[in-house]
Amino acid sequence: MGYDKLQELNVEVVSISVDSVFSHKIWNETELSKMVDGGVPFPMVCDRGGKIGKLYDVYDEAGGVNVRGRFLIDPQGIIQAAEILSPPVGRNPQELLRQIQAYQHNQATGEVMPSGWVPGESTLKPSTDLAGNVWKVWQPKK
Amino acid sequence: MLVGKPAPLFQAEALHNGKITKFKLEDLKGKWVVLCFYPGDFTFV
Repeated sequence: MGYDKLQELNVEVVSISVDSVFSHKIWNETELSKMVDGGVPFPMVCDRGGKIGKLYDVYDEAGGVNVRGRFLIDPQGIIQAAEILSPPVGRNPQELLRQIQAYQHNQATGEVMPSGWVPGESTLKPSTDLAGNVWKVWQPKK
Repeated sequence: MLVGKPAPLFQAEALHNGKITKFKLEDLKGKWVVLCFYPGDFTFV
């Protein structure tokens, strides 16, 4: 599930749902531990009544649950990226990893990552010279 | 819209390594954090 890779990138994972800590415990013991050796290694937060979900605007009043909202928070505590999916579709960890690597690269260098960038590809250095000249250094993938 | 703004701080009970703990988001200041909401235990995440 990419957790090792997230650790390598120095990223802490926190999961959160309206379930009680006891439900988290049973789920971890009966099911998650069969998918991940030793169960999940990160905190599973209990959001009773969806109070935290409301702060992040992911609480579904009708269903009484939080939808699949994912927030990437930088070391200064600023939300850099967010993705919100309705219940039927799961997330793509590869896309999350790509975004983390792109934001980390940006914060380290000031460079920016064009559409479709993946780690290892060239980046752009924002400047007035670049305006109107992006086509010389970067072309969209076919 | 939340992107570009400070992440709302919160504290709540959590299960961590099999134990019930108090989780505070501000304790993670200085680190990259992925906060994942999901509809419920026993579903796919």
